[in-house]
Amino acid sequence: MKKKHLRWLLPLAAVPVLWLLAWGMGRDTYVLPSPMAGLDAPEFSLVSFEGDTLRRSELDGRVVILNFWASWCIPCRTEHPVLVRTEQTWDDSEVVLLGVVYQDSRANAERFLEQYGGDWTHVIDPSQRTAIDYGVYGVPETYFIGRDGLISMKKVGPVTWDLVQTQVDSLLAAPYPTASADAVTGAP
Amino acid sequence: MSRRSVVRRALAVGLVAGGAVACAPRPALAQEPVGEANSETPDAVQEGGQDAEAGERDAGADRSALTDPMEADLDARAAEVAGELRCPVCRNQSVLESNAELSREMQGVVRERLAAGETPEEVKAYFVSRYGEWILLQPEARGINLLVYGLPGIALVLGFFLARNRLRKWASAGTAGTGPEVEVLSEDDERWLRDALREGQGTRS
Repeated sequence: MKKKHLRWLLPLAAVPVLWLLAWGMGRDTYVLPSPMAGLDAPEFSLVSFEGDTLRRSELDGRVVILNFWASWCIPCRTEHPVLVRTEQTWDDSEVVLLGVVYQDSRANAERFLEQYGGDWTHVIDPSQRTAIDYGVYGVPETYFIGRDGLISMKKVGPVTWDLVQTQVDSLLAAPYPTASADAVTGAP
Repeated sequence: MSRRSVVRRALAVGLVAGGAVACAPRPALAQEPVGEANSETPDAVQEGGQDAEAGERDAGADRSALTDPMEADLDARAAEVAGELRCPVCRNQSVLESNAELSREMQGVVRERLAAGETPEEVKAYFVSRYGEWILLQPEARGINLLVYGLPGIALVLGFFLARNRLRKWASAGTAGTGPEVEVLSEDDERWLRDALREGQGTRS
């Protein structure tokens, strides 16, 4: 009788182990769960290379792709062509691509852009306060923010064109009433 | 002061005094400056002089902490909170122990928030809202996390009862004499044995 129980117990004990193994093998380890998804994108006030102060709330009404990057970051080079294509595909009035330079200097970032191209706005994040406010671990990390200012997704590691296209298309398709945008930004 | 607090304070003092604690290897995706892409190292040319600012801040905190007991208390509380936060780019190191740039900035955020009047719980809640509960080195004892705290105790109690039952079974098995069976002698055999013994005694005498 006891031996019969044991005969079932061993395979049953293996079930959760195998399930965990299958779950681990099947998931994309580059996608980390972020508590920021679905929440309001934190406000920031950062200075661009051109010297303009840029606030997050000023971008409401447009889809924002917030990309934390650095010139010393090798995966940032891998994803750079995708960002160049992103900039060329959508108009600035619809989709804003904003680069946040992380633990790097403006001179190094500019040299990188001269070498690899790219004409979108970049801002410097002194003391990494914005990075910490967004829960950044390292670079590259990219946040997709809807027109209502809500974070829809955080991507750790280089973005792919498929991901960008899917995210931007779904965010542009989401309804966005202009009146509420005025209310959020405090516009009269 | 608890033993843990003493250790944290000692660590904080060690860091302020310039004792560098190396950061463990970081996850593959969490890149930090290595200076391989450019000749200028990021630290040397950081826009706005981040490191210079941080250095001045540390030095300022050090100076004032020596003279102002309020500042010393703030430093101690900041060290306590930083000791409970996980360094995002290290392996199992607290923000307090890590010398990574991000950790140093996080220490600054902790101190600023405490100085602004937030409680240690509020400061930790801020980091949890940004990084998730993963940022806490010790998960909060609530919800599914209770399993982490409860399971060892439950396993211990279950193991105790299991061992007790097994020992009782073994003990009762021993007293019941279920060992090798003893054959009872038939009457003829018993008579033969008795005769043999008697004869033997007679021979000896």
